[in-house]
Order: sequence, then C-alpha cells, then structure tokens
Amino acid sequence: MPRPTPFRIGAIEALGAPALAMGVTFLAFGAAVAEAGLPLGWALLCSAAVYGMAGQLVLLGLATGAGAGVLPAVAAATAANARFLPMSVAIAPLLGPRRPGWKRLLATPFIAITPWAPAMRRLPGLPEHERLPWFLGFALASWTAGLAATAAGHWLAPSLPVALRAALLFTNPLYFALLLAADLGRPGVRSAVICGALAAPLALWLGPAWGLLGAGLVGGTIAFLWQRR
Amino acid sequence: MTEADLALGLTVLAMLGLRGTGMLLGGALRPDHPFIAWAAAVSLATLAAFVVLAIATPGGLLATVPWPARLAGVAAGVLGWRLFGARMLPTLLAGLAGLLAGWAVIAAGSGLL
Repeated sequence: MPRPTPFRIGAIEALGAPALAMGVTFLAFGAAVAEAGLPLGWALLCSAAVYGMAGQLVLLGLATGAGAGVLPAVAAATAANARFLPMSVAIAPLLGPRRPGWKRLLATPFIAITPWAPAMRRLPGLPEHERLPWFLGFALASWTAGLAATAAGHWLAPSLPVALRAALLFTNPLYFALLLAADLGRPGVRSAVICGALAAPLALWLGPAWGLLGAGLVGGTIAFLWQRR
Repeated sequence: MTEADLALGLTVLAMLGLRGTGMLLGGALRPDHPFIAWAAAVSLATLAAFVVLAIATPGGLLATVPWPARLAGVAAGVLGWRLFGARMLPTLLAGLAGLLAGWAVIAAGSGLL
C-alpha cells in the first residue's frame, strides 16, 4: 500500500480534535451572525478571510452596533487579530525550502491559531519538502471544517439552545490549553507559556481590542529575554 | 453596500496585510534568527494569555457558564489527559462532559432543574 501524501496526512490529522474545537466555535459564530441579521455570505466571507475568531467577534459586535462606525470596527478587529503578524514570522522559516519563496505564500491565508499551533510542533520533524504540503493539507481541512460549521450555525441558529452554544464554546480554549500542555517540555515553550499566562491580567486593563496582543508582547518578550540570559 | 459589508472588506485586506507582511519578514530570515525566536515566544505567550482569559474571565456567551462549571471542565480535561494518555479528542470530550455535568449540578443546586 503506498504511503499517504504529506498533504493527506495533514488533512487527516486536522479532522479530529482540531476540527472539533474549531467547528464548535465557528458554529457559534454562524449563529451569532444570523442573530445579528446579517446574511450567510457575510458570515462565510468573515470566517474564510478574516479567519481569526477574536477579530471576527469584535468585527461582528462593532459593525452591527448602532453608530459604531466602520473605521473603529476595522481598527479594533485588526488589533484583536494582530497576533497573525508574529505567528506568520515564526512559522515562515519552517514551511520548507526558501527557494522558490512564492510557494510559501500559498500558506498565507491559513495562518491562524488552529493550524499554527500543531504546525509549530509538527513541521520541524518533517523533511523540508513535505512541510508545506502537510501544512496546506491540515490548514485546508480545518478551514473547510470552519466554513461548514459557520454555515451550519447560521442555518441552525433558531434551533440551537443558548446554553448548548455556550458550553460548546469552551471546547476551543480547552483544546489550546491541551496543545500548550503537550508542548511544555519543548525548549523555549515553557517560559513563553508561563510568562503569557502571568501577563494575561494585563489584557483586562488594556481592553478588548489591544489587550490580548499587549499581554502576548509583554509576556513573550520577557520569556525571550529570559531564555537569552 | 452596507457599513457591515465595508467594515468586513477592509478587515479582510488588513488581515491579508498582517499575514503577508509576517510571511515576507519570516521568509527572509533563518529559523534560528533571534527575531524568529522572539516572534515565536510572543505568539505562544499570546496563545497562553488567550487560554487563561477565555477560561477565567470569558466574554460573550461563554461568560454565561458559571465559573465553577468552567473549572469542572478544566479538571475533567486534566483527568482525561491522564486517563487517555494525552489523546486530544477523548480528552476534549471529557472536558466538555465535565463542564456540562458541573453546570447541571450548579443548576440543580439553585433549584433551576
């Protein structure tokens, strides 16, 4: 029997816990968009191209709020997802050979926490030429699961009990907590996770738009300096 | 075009800018470059902060889940992690079951069931 391609292996790995964790969050988002009176196309484009739940929720809240204004909504959503910049910087060198560089850009639309966190663990152990196909397989499968869940949530919104949607949302932070716990033994991870967790209260002080990025910048920079002592 | 459509379109462009800039910057550097190490530390710390905030002080719908129920979910997740040998899917389901059970107990205690 031939060995599955790296693309297929990545896709299969995505269609377990990652798709579940992501699916329930996007299901709740689709339902929230329907409740806000926006069409399915808006929900799908937001999930597909913003593709970062913190920014999606901020955008939905502000874009549909009375008198919020377009530019404040865009600025707040961008700030809420600003983590994509350091995440892309960190993953780019792991995505395989540097030449031709354009191939790596295929991964650009899919840089989000769900594919990024497992990829940071998995990519260093793969041969260079298998990394990008693995990432694209994982990312496309989880992205498709997210879109399908968004559509399902939009469609099912009237029949999904609020309590059930609230409980399902818990799956998302729990999944990331487990991923981080699994990585605590890797060099550099433990200090970044501890410093990030300790810096989390800063986010409450900074507010919803900049809080998460602020806590990450402070916690991550302290961890980086600590590692280089 | 409504304001919501315009806001979505501009946000999509901003996301492309963030991700594209990061890919170009990261692609030009070696994996062991200090800037890459710093970016990885910041990304991991951001994720850790997100997890802490989402469990301890969540916003939106998750905030309607009482904190003891969220704590029960985390405890069940930790237990599942040990029981299932760090396998993600059964551990996630254990955590979700723990949260629902905790919530049901709290609701029963409050006379809501």
